Amino acid sequence: MSTKKESERIELLQGTLDLLILRTLVLGPQHGHAIAKAIEFRSDEVLQVEQGSLYPALHRLIKRGWIFVEDGTSENNRRAKFYRLTARGRKQLAHETSKWEKLAGAIARILRPTEGRE
Amino acid sequence: MKRRAKRLLNDLDQEIREHIELATQENIDRGMPPEEARHAALRKFGNVTRAKEDAREVWSTVWLEELRQDIRFGLRQLRQSPAFTTVVILTLALGIGANTAIYSFMESILLRSLPVADPESLVVLNWHSQPPEDGNKEWVHVMHSVSGLAWKGDNGAMVSGMFPYGAFETLREENPVFSTLFGYFNGRKRNLAVRGQATSASAEYVTGEYFRGLAVSPVAGRLIDSGDDRPGAAPVAVVSFGTSQNRFGGPPNAIGQSILVDNIPFTVIGVAPPEFFGVDPAAAPDLYLPLHTNLLVDGAGAARMYGDGNYYWIEMMGRLRPGVSMAQAQAVLAPRFHQWVATTATIDGERAKLPALMLNPGAAGLGSLRRKYSKPLFVLLTMVALILAIACANIANLLLARAAARRREMAVRLSLGAGRFRVVRQLLTESVMLASLGGALGVLFAIWGMGSLTFLLSNGQENFTLHAELNWNVLGVTAALSVVCGLLFGLAPAIQSTRPDVMSALKNGRGGGPHRRAQHVLVVAQIAFSFLILVAAGLFVQTLNKLHSVQLGYARENILLFSLNARQAGHRDPEIATFYTELRKRFESIPGVSSATLSHSSIISAERAGRTYRGPMKIGAFTFVGAGVLVAGPRFLTTMQIPILAGREIDDRDQAGSTPVAVISERLARTYFGNENPVGRRITFLDEKRDLEIVGVSANLQYGGLKEESPMTVFVAISQFSPDRVTYALRTAGDPLRYVQSVYEIVREADPGIPVTNVVTQVAEIDRTISQEVTFAKLCTGFAVLALLIACVGLYGTMSYNVAQQIGEIGIRMALGAQGRAVVWMVLRRVLILAAVGLAISVPAALSASQLVKSFLFETQPNDPGTLALAGVVLLSAAILAGYAPARRASRIDPLAALRHE
Repeated sequence: MSTKKESERIELLQGTLDLLILRTLVLGPQHGHAIAKAIEFRSDEVLQVEQGSLYPALHRLIKRGWIFVEDGTSENNRRAKFYRLTARGRKQLAHETSKWEKLAGAIARILRPTEGRE
Repeated sequence: MKRRAKRLLNDLDQEIREHIELATQENIDRGMPPEEARHAALRKFGNVTRAKEDAREVWSTVWLEELRQDIRFGLRQLRQSPAFTTVVILTLALGIGANTAIYSFMESILLRSLPVADPESLVVLNWHSQPPEDGNKEWVHVMHSVSGLAWKGDNGAMVSGMFPYGAFETLREENPVFSTLFGYFNGRKRNLAVRGQATSASAEYVTGEYFRGLAVSPVAGRLIDSGDDRPGAAPVAVVSFGTSQNRFGGPPNAIGQSILVDNIPFTVIGVAPPEFFGVDPAAAPDLYLPLHTNLLVDGAGAARMYGDGNYYWIEMMGRLRPGVSMAQAQAVLAPRFHQWVATTATIDGERAKLPALMLNPGAAGLGSLRRKYSKPLFVLLTMVALILAIACANIANLLLARAAARRREMAVRLSLGAGRFRVVRQLLTESVMLASLGGALGVLFAIWGMGSLTFLLSNGQENFTLHAELNWNVLGVTAALSVVCGLLFGLAPAIQSTRPDVMSALKNGRGGGPHRRAQHVLVVAQIAFSFLILVAAGLFVQTLNKLHSVQLGYARENILLFSLNARQAGHRDPEIATFYTELRKRFESIPGVSSATLSHSSIISAERAGRTYRGPMKIGAFTFVGAGVLVAGPRFLTTMQIPILAGREIDDRDQAGSTPVAVISERLARTYFGNENPVGRRITFLDEKRDLEIVGVSANLQYGGLKEESPMTVFVAISQFSPDRVTYALRTAGDPLRYVQSVYEIVREADPGIPVTNVVTQVAEIDRTISQEVTFAKLCTGFAVLALLIACVGLYGTMSYNVAQQIGEIGIRMALGAQGRAVVWMVLRRVLILAAVGLAISVPAALSASQLVKSFLFETQPNDPGTLALAGVVLLSAAILAGYAPARRASRIDPLAALRHE
């Protein structure tokens, strides 16, 4: 079922999940299961979503007005809830992404201070 | 929003099922057996219940959850600095507790309604008129005689709630604005005998409409109605709930019982409900009697009260008809009263100042308590509010210092992306938590404070009716107060420490100028407030000292006082005089009692209590008023240790039939006889056309209350004046209260139908008259100490913090050769400057504020320079004391260590 060894998987950092959901929805509205799958797939299955925590996160994002929910039909022709990014969500994603990049860069520099000289 | 959340949550079950089914299907597609595929999908999803719970929490309790986090974090913070937490909570608890205690009294006096149905529709009838005295101090007024109280209204007007019975009848007839108009009249203390056991009970005479008008229902039997209140009706009585329990063993047992009220038989027909206390919160009658039964109890003389249109005695309340406002009622009734009262005026002088009817809200009952206590309580409330302000300033100060220490923490949190609002909220949660803990502890202080305040105010009075309680109103105010305090002292520090100049804080981690400025402002405010309280305390203590140093001229210690009323138990002239005389002799024979005497009242309350002569007197050609008459029995001067300067004191020779005699005080003798010997001369009581022979001269004494200017005194013989009620005084060896039992036994032996009342030592009787001054002096001294303490803690904290901030600077100075003394002076100078600024603000404030308490002072000027100076000195000394420790610490700084630290 999985192509990676268990030890290489990384538990999601708290709060990062929100960011990943937003990123996933940039490509278009999705239902819950598809979002979970997309995150795993796009991270090369390194990031493992505890799928249960996806739903509270979705609700949190709805509450903040970054996404909204609409009814649709899933691939097996059942009614399902689709989540779609709002304009505010898009803005938030941009903001969070740049913040994340800065942080990641900074941490990387700290962790590999000699990289440049090598 | 709510509905959207509900729908999302309702659909969540279905959504999760779909999710798992999709995952299972995928696993099956990948070739797993169905059972295993489903397990794998479930495993991957994780805890379904928790997912749902978390989702629900997103909607319902985000802020609650954050609050819980904040509180948990706050508690950890508070535990980390226990000293800080304890100081803050204790100061606050004292401040909030004091406020709660005083407020609970205000609530009980000013805000509480009568415990009857729809109290808002009750109105009290009063009238006001110009003062009765004309330019020559002659009484010119339609009110010729009065039983009850009049008081001063605005612009010196006379205000009263007493009316002639005729006015009550006139207003009661076809009243278009009141559904009921009812009257009542203070029946005072009566001798109540139940099954042969006599006690003293307070009675209220009420008209037949009284209970109907108040809409009160009995707990047993029935209440007085119009049929009971007419001349000749069978005498019936309603007893209070307490009386029914104490005297009859419960309400049902009381019904139908025969009782004696001043020896007149009555039948108990009903019991009032437990919470009912009549219409005056200052009184709690034990006994309600139909108005017209006073013809039986008070004798034939009472008949005059019903016919005399110039005799003011009955009080009235009305219940407004639905939809009628008080102003409308006033507009209807005032002309009607005016018309009636005009017919009672006989001369132009009376017509010129007829009483005018005035309606007042009656929801809270009569205002006697309010008139007596509202101003003192406002003064006390102001003081405790000041203390709370000092406490809040102090805590804000401590928090500022702590905020400075926590600046790095805040800066880190802010730079990690925490919202400033979130951090401020966290800090405010901490301060509100502190305040709430302080408030909770404060309630305990308040309970203790209310107990001791009741004790102080009542000062041994029987049936003290001012009962403060911690009801929801009071607790609500306390809770609100705590939260407001928390926000008040937390806001400034919270905003300060989260100021966005994150970088500088991260770099050096030391507080800058604005902190110190804010701290200084707070310290100055604390000093200014403390000074106000110190001055007040000084003034009240000064007043108490002056009162204590009043020369009484008679013995204070080792005197036992108690009162008897033989007339109420059926004794009549002339036997009553013999009865009282015999009793005196028996009291005198108690071992340990060196002498016994009796008088119409104790000396300290002689001018107000008991029946005595209060009219003009004449000696030779001089007519004068204002000499105090004391109706005294044999050996009065001996017992009270008042020196006899000439002649003799009143003794057993003076009998009802013998020559009427008087003993006058030295001042009276000097004023009207100069150096002549007054013994053998005469003094005349003009109103009673009574001629008395002066048989002796006593030394001067303080007749009446301590605050009054001591009038000249005339002693007359009790056997020749025969009052109803007498007060005995026993001069005892050792504690006077040890002899109470013997007194009870002697009285019971003489007549078991006479209750012994007002048993008290002379010392307590005197202190009772100055209980308000004692209370004020004690409370304010306590408040002042408290305020000073809190302010000193604030000052100490600020200076310590300042010194810590300036370690580097001080180190440099010392390295450059500054002496320790110079450093001490540097710190102390700042303390003194702060104190001086505080004083400069406060002295003018104190000068004007002290005028407000002028009426509470005795022989003390509100701007008493001595008190102001003393308060200033105390404050400055305290400030120096508080500042000295930090100053000394500063002078011991090791320059090297300090510079390295920098």
